[in-house]
Amino acid sequence: MDFVLNGEIQDIPDEWAEESLLNLLRDHFGLVGAKYGCGAGICGACTVIVDGVATRSCITLAESIEGAEVRSIEGLATGGALHPVQQAWLDLAVPQCGYCQAGQIMSAVALLNEIPSPSEADIDAAMDGNLCRCGTYGRIRAAIRHAAIQRAVGAT
Amino acid sequence: MRRRAFLAATGGGLIALIGAGMAAWNQVPVIPKRPEPDADAAFGWIVHRDGRFVLTLPRVEMGQGIATALKQVACTELGVAWQAIALQLHDTSSPPVKATVGSESVALFAEPLAQACSSLRDALEAGRLEGPVAVSTRPLSALRAFRAGGLIGASPELAQGRDIVTGAALYAADVVRPGLLHGRVLRAPASPEVGSRASTWNRSEAEKIPGFVAVVEDCGSANGQAKGLGIVASRPAALDQIAEALAIEWTVDSLPEQADIARAIDIDTALSKGKLGNRVMDGAPEGTSFDISMRVDIPFAAHAQIEPRAAVAEWKHGRLMIWSGTQDAFYVRDALADVFGLDPGAVTVQTMRIGGAFGGKVLCRAEMEAAALAQAVGAPVKVQWTRAQEFAFGYHRPPSSHRLRLKLSGGRITDWDHQQMSSHILFTSAGLPVWMQAATDLVVGDPGVARGMRIPYWVDRARAAYDTIRLPVHSGPWRGLGAGPNGLVVESAMDEAARTAGADPLAFRLDHIRDPRLAEVLRRVGETANWQGTAAAEHNGIRTGRGIACGIYKENSYAAVVADVAVETTGHIRVTRLWCTHDCGLVINPDQVRAQCEGNLVWSIGMLLSDALQIEAGRITAENFHENPIPRLTEVPPIIVELIASDMPPSGAGETAIVAGPGAIANAIRAATGVRPARFPLQAEVFAT
Repeated sequence: MDFVLNGEIQDIPDEWAEESLLNLLRDHFGLVGAKYGCGAGICGACTVIVDGVATRSCITLAESIEGAEVRSIEGLATGGALHPVQQAWLDLAVPQCGYCQAGQIMSAVALLNEIPSPSEADIDAAMDGNLCRCGTYGRIRAAIRHAAIQRAVGAT
Repeated sequence: MRRRAFLAATGGGLIALIGAGMAAWNQVPVIPKRPEPDADAAFGWIVHRDGRFVLTLPRVEMGQGIATALKQVACTELGVAWQAIALQLHDTSSPPVKATVGSESVALFAEPLAQACSSLRDALEAGRLEGPVAVSTRPLSALRAFRAGGLIGASPELAQGRDIVTGAALYAADVVRPGLLHGRVLRAPASPEVGSRASTWNRSEAEKIPGFVAVVEDCGSANGQAKGLGIVASRPAALDQIAEALAIEWTVDSLPEQADIARAIDIDTALSKGKLGNRVMDGAPEGTSFDISMRVDIPFAAHAQIEPRAAVAEWKHGRLMIWSGTQDAFYVRDALADVFGLDPGAVTVQTMRIGGAFGGKVLCRAEMEAAALAQAVGAPVKVQWTRAQEFAFGYHRPPSSHRLRLKLSGGRITDWDHQQMSSHILFTSAGLPVWMQAATDLVVGDPGVARGMRIPYWVDRARAAYDTIRLPVHSGPWRGLGAGPNGLVVESAMDEAARTAGADPLAFRLDHIRDPRLAEVLRRVGETANWQGTAAAEHNGIRTGRGIACGIYKENSYAAVVADVAVETTGHIRVTRLWCTHDCGLVINPDQVRAQCEGNLVWSIGMLLSDALQIEAGRITAENFHENPIPRLTEVPPIIVELIASDMPPSGAGETAIVAGPGAIANAIRAATGVRPARFPLQAEVFAT
């Protein structure tokens, strides 16, 4: 079983087929950016992008991603340069404890890939399922707007 | 630790030592309740080696931004660039520090760090490169880090910020050791106040699960009275499968006492039986008839931080190594040494970045389980609680039931009486046996429950009293301790008093305030929010209103909040805007103080609209966030925070705005609907038209 992980073809060993994608990433590939928060797809701390879609890796079976393209937080920066969403998160000092933020960032990246200039309603719809107990929501919203503008400026 | 060992551990270089001079400092000592250091003990927080500085963070970082703030202090005092200082997290081979609690980190640790850095700077300037430096303390006014300018009052890139946004920041559950196994301790679905244990289980079925390693009967100390059965597996998902295959039958000794929690803490029932035992304010209200009498009930609430408790344990040659996201590494070390019969020096607890704690990570729980399982299987073991275990095995903000009675005359409050029933916060049932708690109840009460009952208003006669009762669900510290609930209650009563007096609630408060810093935050929030009164209005069936509240946290941090709300005909409540003015003295990092205000205000929304732990028959039944909701992105309005520029000594910011946020929102709802919010979390039907 193969899949593409952050741009590279990887094998899913048979003994990992029935694990969650979250466990596969964390315990087999050592990519620990995605976090366990609830184990039921409710909090969004485990969010990664599967074939362009923000996906809760804790309720996604490893074997179900065969042939798919998976992007995790570790695969966002290219050659040391942060992704615009990561940069926006830093510029606006979004994280407090930081535990949910990989999931927040991946949801935001998926949103901006689909809708480069999201409305407030678009942000609501894409981000409402990612919980943050520290209360960084205002900054998350602002950082998404900021990243959208930076990308628009960069594209011209 | 002896100096020689310390020097060996740090590999030489120039180390700022803090020891004998401590008592002379202007501020509270940094190590009050931990083993007192002898003259040789040293704080090696800041080290210069090979042209670089290493700051060993004497606090844990859990989102409060202390790593960034203390690095700003160190850079400023040393006079070096941001990149010149590398940051590392402390472990218990460092000299003991007290738990990271109570919004104390800047208030108590910035000055010692600045003193150490200033002496280190002097030594370097004198050309020294080796050996310990005795810290000669200087007056606060001579420290560069206690004057605004440069990095002080600036907001540099967050320490560890780049790691967080790239997924590289490590939390306890991210630690990997060679041969690491996965463990879990299962416990009966019962109150931790009653004895319980596994009586039968099907081991042979569990052994069939691929990845099965062990069933462990001795899992260290019980969680309350709940003895666990441990399981260990080589792959994480096997734990769920093993737990199911075991088909454990649990023996539960009895039903818990006080299982009807609302009844157990009912304030009016308690008052009908006599006076409450613990006095916070000692005035004697006159007469028996009051102008205002209101009852407020607040439920159990979970911390609900997104990172469940986690630890990795590894035994080697009779020594125990723990990686943990704990607020109190030295307590964890001592608790483990006690249970496993070790010298404390044989246990090392490495602190990790914490994914939210809010008071919930001060005991030794996942660490205990991981250590026991690792010992049993002879391999390193990671334990991370499931979300259901987080709710079931944790401790929580206690419920509280309040009765407030006020008398007014001439537009002022003359008599104030606040009576509260609650459960324990500082002397938590989760840590104290019944007999010991009975002793603390008798001697000191529970200052955590009392926090926030002392009102910041001048009235003729003020009384505040409380009692605590041991409940079947364990309670303990939660952001702000009693200050959040008590602030909500006090500020609700002030609002009702202003209404009774026919006064504007802002002006009415000012009439009762003598502390100029409190008056200032209140006036300023009124200006920024353009306060013109409670502005009750209705438009297309949507009722809107404004509320205001203020308060003091731990006698030296100030906040005032204005809230706007909109209430639909269904009774659905939305907070539509929040303003906060905040005074915590000298601000090291304004952006991070703002972040703490924002967090407190989101928690305020949660306190009003969602926080409630699902409990039935004295045990927690909530298993996940859908049964214990926390505020979501769409519930959080624009928040405007203003910080007072001050050169007063820095005080806390992590729990201050929670004294005013809930009251402001409650008062806005009262303005919009005419209904006084009294039972939390609020139910829409109460406010429907």
